[in-house]
Amino acid sequence: MKVLAAGVVPLLLVLHWKHGAASPLPITPVNATCATRHPCHGNLMNQIKNQLAQLNGSANALFISYYTAQGEPFPNNLDKLCGPNMTDFPPFHANGTEKAKLVELYRLVAYLGASLGNVTRDQKILNPNALSLHSKLNATTDTMRGLLSNVLCRLCNKYHVGHVDVTYGPDTAGKDAFQKKKLGCQLLGTYKQVISLVAQAF
Amino acid sequence: MSTLRIWLVQALVIFLTAESIAQLLDPCGYIYPESPVIQRGSNFTAVCVLKEECLERYHVNATYIVWKTNHVAVPKEQYTIINRTTSSVTFTNMASLSVQLTCNILTYGQLEQNVYGINILSGFPPDEPKNLSCIVNEGKKMMCQWDPGRETYLETNFTLKSEWATEKFDDCVTKRGTPTLCLVNYPPVYFVNIEVWVEAANALGKVTSEHINFDPVDRVKPNPPRNLTVNTSEEMSTILKLTWINPSIKNVIRLKYNIQYRTKDASTWSQVPPEDTVATRSSFTIQDLKPFTEYVFRIRCMKEDNKGFWSDWSEEAHGITYEDRPSKAPSFWYKINPSHIQEYRSVQLIWKTLPASEANGKILDYEVIVTQWKSFSQNYTVNDTELIVNLTHNRYVITLTARNLVGKSDAAVIIIPGQHFKASHPVVDLKAFPKDNMLWVEWTAPHKYVRKYILEWCVLSDKLPCIPDWQQEHGSVHQTYLRGNLVASKCYLITVTPVYSIGPGSPESVKAYLKQAAPSKGPIVRTKKVGKNEAVLEWDRLPVDVQNGFIRNYSIFYRTIVGNETVVNVDSSHTEYTLSSLSSDTLYMVRMAAYTDEGGKDGPEFTFTTPKFAQGEIEAIVVPVCLAFLLTTLLGVLFCFNKRDLIKKHIWPNVPDPSKSHIAQWSPHTPPRHNFNSKDQIYSDGNFTDVSVVEIEANDKKPCPDDLKSLELFKKEKISTEGHSSGIGGSSCMSSSRPSISSSDENESAQNTASTVQYSTVVHSGYRHQVPSVQVFSRSESTQPLLDSEERPDDLQLVDNVDISGDILPRQQYFKQNCSQSETSPDISHFERSDQISSGNEEDFVRLKQQQVSDHISQSCGAEQMKMFQEVSATGAFGPVTEGQVEQFEPVGMEAAIDEGIPKSYLPQTVRQGGYMPQ
Repeated sequence: MKVLAAGVVPLLLVLHWKHGAASPLPITPVNATCATRHPCHGNLMNQIKNQLAQLNGSANALFISYYTAQGEPFPNNLDKLCGPNMTDFPPFHANGTEKAKLVELYRLVAYLGASLGNVTRDQKILNPNALSLHSKLNATTDTMRGLLSNVLCRLCNKYHVGHVDVTYGPDTAGKDAFQKKKLGCQLLGTYKQVISLVAQAF
Repeated sequence: MSTLRIWLVQALVIFLTAESIAQLLDPCGYIYPESPVIQRGSNFTAVCVLKEECLERYHVNATYIVWKTNHVAVPKEQYTIINRTTSSVTFTNMASLSVQLTCNILTYGQLEQNVYGINILSGFPPDEPKNLSCIVNEGKKMMCQWDPGRETYLETNFTLKSEWATEKFDDCVTKRGTPTLCLVNYPPVYFVNIEVWVEAANALGKVTSEHINFDPVDRVKPNPPRNLTVNTSEEMSTILKLTWINPSIKNVIRLKYNIQYRTKDASTWSQVPPEDTVATRSSFTIQDLKPFTEYVFRIRCMKEDNKGFWSDWSEEAHGITYEDRPSKAPSFWYKINPSHIQEYRSVQLIWKTLPASEANGKILDYEVIVTQWKSFSQNYTVNDTELIVNLTHNRYVITLTARNLVGKSDAAVIIIPGQHFKASHPVVDLKAFPKDNMLWVEWTAPHKYVRKYILEWCVLSDKLPCIPDWQQEHGSVHQTYLRGNLVASKCYLITVTPVYSIGPGSPESVKAYLKQAAPSKGPIVRTKKVGKNEAVLEWDRLPVDVQNGFIRNYSIFYRTIVGNETVVNVDSSHTEYTLSSLSSDTLYMVRMAAYTDEGGKDGPEFTFTTPKFAQGEIEAIVVPVCLAFLLTTLLGVLFCFNKRDLIKKHIWPNVPDPSKSHIAQWSPHTPPRHNFNSKDQIYSDGNFTDVSVVEIEANDKKPCPDDLKSLELFKKEKISTEGHSSGIGGSSCMSSSRPSISSSDENESAQNTASTVQYSTVVHSGYRHQVPSVQVFSRSESTQPLLDSEERPDDLQLVDNVDISGDILPRQQYFKQNCSQSETSPDISHFERSDQISSGNEEDFVRLKQQQVSDHISQSCGAEQMKMFQEVSATGAFGPVTEGQVEQFEPVGMEAAIDEGIPKSYLPQTVRQGGYMPQ
């Protein structure tokens, strides 16, 4: 989190990428301040596609690794326990404009990033020996950070969008272990489905 | 309460102690700047400010300040007194890395007291880091490295800074031991550009490198593919299929591959064409491999677009291709061994095992088919690589095939010609030479189609037999290398035999070395012949085993003990050499070295000494000298021979035989008592040429008493021994004569008689059987020594015999009368004188005789002598001698007993045969 504290845009994210933060932020006006530390790379869209492909490629393995690490009853009750039935998941419209898709992608990645942060925190407590799961969770989280940077750079550079309101999932800090596991499994199940759609949309 | 009191006391003590220490440690002044770091080569000024209390305490001011660097006083010229309490010092072009600068004051008594000290550090500001590059090892964090530039001599910190466009990452501070690289502490995030730069900072400045911006995925070094396996295909013997597991990065990026392979024993790798492996995959089939060959494979990968780094090579995997039928026929040849059976030839068929690359599998056996011309065939199955068969002297065709699990090879065919086949058409220009540590053989093909060539070779040795190895080459090959375990420094005899369709051609041979070396031993030189100024050296050729190469030449080193060494190079074809211009009677040391192309080796040293004289030199001196001596002697002898008469007159004068004197003739009845010896033959009748002369010293006044005494003694002796001698005769003077008698007795008798001899003979009967009318005693007045005839009656008999035979010649006798005391020199003078006289004319001679007669008459040599002279004179008077008669008698000899100034007298005596001289 310390890394993310640097810069203006990250500061906005930091404010809303807290575990348990829930209120979405509106899109920043077009004339909002849009400054970066250095000029964004010109190949951002290609990088975003690759990042989405990377996330999409690893989502299933992450999901499997997660419910496997949770143990029974998760592996044998995936539909009940891990079904993609999260109601507050940010929407994504694959047929929108690039700018709209980027904005929705930004919200989606912000939401997932924050939620994966909660899951990662909970899994380190609940399954401290599930190193492979931890590694996958961290890698996914890191990739989402990079994706978020690219999307924001793209929005800022091309569309001059310096701020996007985001929403976050429920904070699991006060929930019991099973609920934490169940929420995490539902998140990854949903993520697996959504990221596939998003990857295809770009 | 007491506790509080104790606490207060302790606090007071501590306070006072601290105060006193503070006062003690309080310096008298300060130096500014306190911790300077300056750039090397720049100027630096330090200021020392003294406290007022010190000025008063030590009664000093700023002029008393002394600056020192590293305990060495700084020259006063560098000082500047700013005011009463302040002094500065300036250094230009500071070069030392670390300098200790102290400010001191001179107190009372010139005592130096330190006021304050600082350390001055010098160095350079950091250079801008260059060549910043980063690498992302898959699964690890990103590492960047750079070139720091020149040494700063100061503590310099390098910080790797990185950031996205939207956020900044933690700085990466280098570790002390690795100031040129840094491993960031965050995981790499692919597909997001990151900007990286290096910041270098020390006390003299801070500088940043050029920023580099890249996507970490373009700096990835993937992990190598793992679990590489090789699968054999039984359907095809030339392919193998590889499978592997890609690294995890393949989920992020597309990969391309390098696949390499080699046979197990090979050292170099072959590579699958890169264009065949440009996409992510997990298997690949390698084609065009050799059957039944073990291959080794490895693989690596990198990002498909060539951005990033190749992974390390995977672990090697082994695989063997399936078998195939042998691709070539074995090399096939034969040898004909001597056979005890006349009708058959023992033929040893030999062949080489196929190399793995041609066998294409495990060779199970070989099939040999021996076919006689227009006759049946005989099959052999052999597991070995040779077969001995007995063949007739006819022509044979023999085929050989190798068989493995899959099938048979092509047939190798050799033709063994009939016994009367004559090989021809050899290869020409056969050469052998080493190249690339192999022994190459090159030849020119004969003008005839050659099916194949057989190369045979063996090591030439003096001790070991020639054990040949061989190989076969195709008929189109004209150059190859010997595929055997050849060793250096060995002489190989290489034979190339062309094989035609009708049989083998004539072999050609050549010698070669794989690698030459210097000979192991040097030649042993010895002398064959040593002369006064030259020596012929000879040596044996080095044995092949120690030559180690082709002997190109020899060097002969020779020297004397003190002289410089002389070197002579000799062609290798020689085995002897003649050293010339040597010094005589000198010890020489000689040794030889034999040289190959790679060096030489000295042989043992040999010493010899040249003789003082050349061979034949002594002979050349001695022989001419001897010849000259002999020649001289011969000439002398010849001269003497030619002048023998003259010499004889000088050294051996004729002595008249007393027995043949007239007195003897006068006493014909005297019995012959003496035989003439051989010398008397000289005086044979026919040889009497000289005139008998009795030389009388007419004017010698000496009466010769000694001679007379001797004569008396002789008379007595004669009387006592012979009885026939009488004292009637005798000479009043001593007669001398040459010792012409070889016998010692005769010499003795001659000497005895030479002293004083009384020549007298008593004639008892008539001479030569003549009866004298009156027996008379004839007395000889001769002083001649007694001749052998007197001692040897035989001689007289011989004379008698001569007389009997009727060859009666008048005997000439002459007397010599010498009154000289000396026996030598007077004789010589007499000889000369007589010679002169003899050369005179006859008239002078007659006149001289008459004068002698007259002179002798008046000579007082004794009564008897006087009487005899009278008789002689009478003879000359009564016996008229015609001139012709005189001429018949050659002068036999003359004795001249002449003293200087003394006149000589001669008494010629002639005897008429059968006559008597009147008494």
